[in-house]
Amino acid sequence: MGGEYIVLIIGYIFGFYMAWNIGANDVANSMASAVGAKAITIRQAILIASLLNVVGATFLGSHVTNTIRKGIVSTQILSDPQLALIGALAALLAAALWVSFATWKSLPVSTTHSIVGAMIGFGIMAGGFDVINWSKLGAVVLSWVISPIFSLVIAFFLFKLIIRLVLSSDDAGAAALRWSPVFIGSAVFVVVLSFLFKTPLGKNLSLAMPSALIIAAVAAYVLGMAGKWMIRRFVIGPQNRGAEEIFRRIQIGTSCYVALAQGANDVANAIGPLAVIYFLVKTGAVGAKVPVPIFLLLFGGVGIACGIWMAGYRVMTTIGTKITTLTNTRGFCVDFSAATTVLLASKLGLPVSTTHAAVGGVMGVGIARGMEAVNFRVVFQIMIYWVLTVPAAALTSMLLFWIIRWIYL
Amino acid sequence: MRLPFLSMFLTSPFDGIQEHAEKVQDCAWAFQQAVECYLTSQCQTFEELRREVVRLESEADAIKRRIRGHLPIGTLMPVSKFQLFRYLREQDGVLDAVEDALDWISFRQVPGFPKDLNKDFFLLVDAVVDPIEELSKMAREARSYFQTFNEKQRTKVKSIIRNLRHQEHEADKVEDTLKSKLFNMDIDAVSIYHSIRLVEIVGSIADHAENAGDMMRAMLAK
Repeated sequence: MGGEYIVLIIGYIFGFYMAWNIGANDVANSMASAVGAKAITIRQAILIASLLNVVGATFLGSHVTNTIRKGIVSTQILSDPQLALIGALAALLAAALWVSFATWKSLPVSTTHSIVGAMIGFGIMAGGFDVINWSKLGAVVLSWVISPIFSLVIAFFLFKLIIRLVLSSDDAGAAALRWSPVFIGSAVFVVVLSFLFKTPLGKNLSLAMPSALIIAAVAAYVLGMAGKWMIRRFVIGPQNRGAEEIFRRIQIGTSCYVALAQGANDVANAIGPLAVIYFLVKTGAVGAKVPVPIFLLLFGGVGIACGIWMAGYRVMTTIGTKITTLTNTRGFCVDFSAATTVLLASKLGLPVSTTHAAVGGVMGVGIARGMEAVNFRVVFQIMIYWVLTVPAAALTSMLLFWIIRWIYL
Repeated sequence: MRLPFLSMFLTSPFDGIQEHAEKVQDCAWAFQQAVECYLTSQCQTFEELRREVVRLESEADAIKRRIRGHLPIGTLMPVSKFQLFRYLREQDGVLDAVEDALDWISFRQVPGFPKDLNKDFFLLVDAVVDPIEELSKMAREARSYFQTFNEKQRTKVKSIIRNLRHQEHEADKVEDTLKSKLFNMDIDAVSIYHSIRLVEIVGSIADHAENAGDMMRAMLAK
């Protein structure tokens, strides 16, 4: 059994490396608009992002872990524990290496895509092309296209709503205050709902849809009103009456929301394969579903937080100096739509990319004529790298699988 | 680090437009000084002021090129790219006309403008400087409108555009009177030609300002 534990330790190292990469690569998505719109400082952004990623990963992230592995690659390849162990190691390292390479080369890739690609590579090596569930893969691919569009639509209508209700009124500051409970409350509503339906804790409560909706609505109302009271109490002063100033405070809340959603969503990318390794070593076999222990999620969250701490400063500095045109109302729309998309998608068990959701949000505001200048063509550039990411991660994974098998067996 | 999220954000063209409008306003002052100098007989600083305007014009040109060169296909903006370019062209036209006027003066060393009409010419210069100042105010207020889409703000910009139109009309009237007076003066033909052409160029400053206002009105259309 000694050898198995060495494998487990290596698994932990690879898993941590992957989580670190996720933190380093994805931190921009959650905090970019808040830092760009000067709602929070770089230091605050890094602190909030790392803390909430840990919280989100630990308490909200568990559902997605099963889907990535189960859905696309058939479980029959896991029947041989040895092979499964090698495969999970190879996939984890391959995805981490590809993301590292991308971060180094500044390529826009998604960590989610990398792990899916790596899993496919492992599946092909272990069981040939037959084990890949192509229709499931198709659905996942579709969700990658859908997530930016979904986020775009939310951001578009949200921004139009803000124009109509707040910005175009004679006293925009007063209107922003009047409507602030709605904006805060709707963010709270989505968070509470996803908390109730997605987390182990929420599932233990086993609430039916109507009562969950009521709870979420009550929480939204209470927190919305509390938010309004706090804004009235602490923000509005003689020189602080603008709508942007109020949205600046609300945006602190929404960027927390993104960080939380991101932690919940992305931790699976590092912890999914690690959970497989963990169970193979502990029990010698692995089923179709892996119940992920909470300490693994915490481990992943901490790994992401470390990545944010180490690479975040460099990324945030770039953002702070480059995005000068983003105002707080726009930033709020981007944050809200991205987080909602990610939470809804992970509720449906689809592996979405936070990058895509954030990009979709910016485009939505842009189409609503809210941005002074955004480049729509970046979407196509991202798509090219997305197409590249899956085969690149798959090939790396195949190569590593071959090497590890040669060493191991 | 080049992140996909970041490469979406381009430098705002409105920054450049405002910067450009400020250059135009800076020019107005130098232009006024230069003309005043030209009309008084002992002028020392004209050439200096003209060079100042030429410098401002080339700086403004650089801004204009920067704006045009950094809006790739697929850029989303609150206004159409080509409306923005047309607007920029007119705003730049103001500067060009200012420069042209001073250049035209510099071509003829002897001061040939009839002394009796000095007052009228000052009147014309004042009439075209007003719209220049209105123009940079419009650029500022319009940017604020595109950030808030506030109806009150829109009305404000529209009233500035209306002012521009009136001012252009006033400048036209002054220009016409001045021209008819010039043609009825008993001076040599070269002086008349030089003066008439000068008055026309100066008058065109207001035309460009009005055109810029019209383009802005098109951008404001819902």
